[in-house]
Amino acid sequence: MKTFSQPGALTLLASILITCLLLFLFQKMIWFVVPFLLALMLCYCLRPAVSFLAVRGISHDNAARAVWLLLQVTTAIILIAGAFWATAKADAWRDDFGHYVSGGQNLIVNSFAMIEKRVSPLQQTNMSAQTEQWLRQSSNRFAEKNLLPIALLALKWFPSVLLVPYLAYFMLIDSARLKKYLIKSVPNAYFERALLLFSRLDESLQNYFQGLLQLTLLDTLFLGLGLAALGIHHAIWLGLAAAILAWIPYIGSVFGAVLVVIIAATDFPDKAGVAYACLALFAAVRMLDDLVFLPFTIGRKLHVHPVLSVLMLFLGVTVAGATGLVLVLPLFGVVTVVGESVAQVMNDPELKARYKISRQLAVAAVSKHL
Amino acid sequence: MSFFGTDIKTQKVEMLKGIRVFRELSRKEILEVEALLHERTYEQGEIVFGEGDPGHGIFIVLSGKLRAHPSCELMKTAGLEFGPGELVGELSLFDESPRIATVVAVERTVAVALFQAEFSSLLVKNKSIGVKVLIEIARTLSLRTRQLLLGEKRVPSL
Repeated sequence: MKTFSQPGALTLLASILITCLLLFLFQKMIWFVVPFLLALMLCYCLRPAVSFLAVRGISHDNAARAVWLLLQVTTAIILIAGAFWATAKADAWRDDFGHYVSGGQNLIVNSFAMIEKRVSPLQQTNMSAQTEQWLRQSSNRFAEKNLLPIALLALKWFPSVLLVPYLAYFMLIDSARLKKYLIKSVPNAYFERALLLFSRLDESLQNYFQGLLQLTLLDTLFLGLGLAALGIHHAIWLGLAAAILAWIPYIGSVFGAVLVVIIAATDFPDKAGVAYACLALFAAVRMLDDLVFLPFTIGRKLHVHPVLSVLMLFLGVTVAGATGLVLVLPLFGVVTVVGESVAQVMNDPELKARYKISRQLAVAAVSKHL
Repeated sequence: MSFFGTDIKTQKVEMLKGIRVFRELSRKEILEVEALLHERTYEQGEIVFGEGDPGHGIFIVLSGKLRAHPSCELMKTAGLEFGPGELVGELSLFDESPRIATVVAVERTVAVALFQAEFSSLLVKNKSIGVKVLIEIARTLSLRTRQLLLGEKRVPSL
């Protein structure tokens, strides 16, 4: 069997550069990239349901339409019910928000005060008092400074969010046709390799998105149950928020843990043990993720070396800020698969020769009729 | 609604129905299969695939003619031309084995390719289509094996 040359350092470097360039471009058109990615995720998550119906004799297009319609109806019911619920609970939530913000501030100030007490050189710096003053000023100015920009941001993102179901519909219905359409433009010499590349990409993305969703559900379940056992209020919602925050590689889990610890410290100001138990729970779920859940969900394995992952995260933040942090690893995974395949094809002299001959034959065939 | 290419015409369904592998399929099933087929045109002398290439699917000749050039002596004794309706490369549909001959277009040839991964997903999604197509491929394989073993001048499997 013919063997293909393995991609080298140059391919890797090119993949890194292309990832950075794409991140830079994505940041400029984030209004489209975010709904596109959400639609892609939705599409891959709905695919098993479409296959389920297709296996039962419904044509692919009709199965896709039925699943999409069911999703729209369910979403509409949830949104309407959610709107009524949010209106009824708005006042209580505002009070809760203020309560937990001040709880978080107290936790930080108390932690600094405790450190000052134990580390004598820090006592003279008066760190806890300064921090407390800064936090109080910041929280007072927070509403007047940020409320309008947040409202405008939500308004700006609303049309983009509406794009998600629209894009997901066409991805479900037309993805096979789009693939055929793209493959049509590939020269005969590279045809089978292009098909293989599409298949690998499709498989990688499907594994990634479906795995991410499964992992989010498992994290939500375990964190929710654990937090409920510790007596934390809104345990399942907190578990869900922490599980979604964990989509941001590495630091997302830290944000989730901090959020839950703040809530635990506010709800149980006299029981430091609860906050520590929350931290232990997060560490345990993180270990479960790495050792048990990930092998099952597979998807997040993008076969990227850990050192390279960290390097890419730094590059992602540098190039595209928070957007880069979220997108850099899956994007790098996809670019690497494409880069390796393209490099293999480009370095295959036989394929190149076949392409050259095909072109000459095509020109000769056309010239015959002139 | 379709954004990518026009809807399949009756003529195309009839053409695919005329191919032995798809003859048992209903019109609706043909439409499902057609969505997975990739039409390619090869000029006279153009290589479709080379011996040793990793095989990822089969080709079905719609018009024109393909010829196989194997290095294996046993296969050289057989007639190695494939006309309209005939399958080429069916062995790789099952195990991605390397191609055992180089196949070249004898004249301008139009063929459709069925990719292994897409065929596998079709087998899962629609067992009825899968069984009908697989039986026809198995028939072709059986016929070609018998012909090769009996030394008849017909095409062996590729």
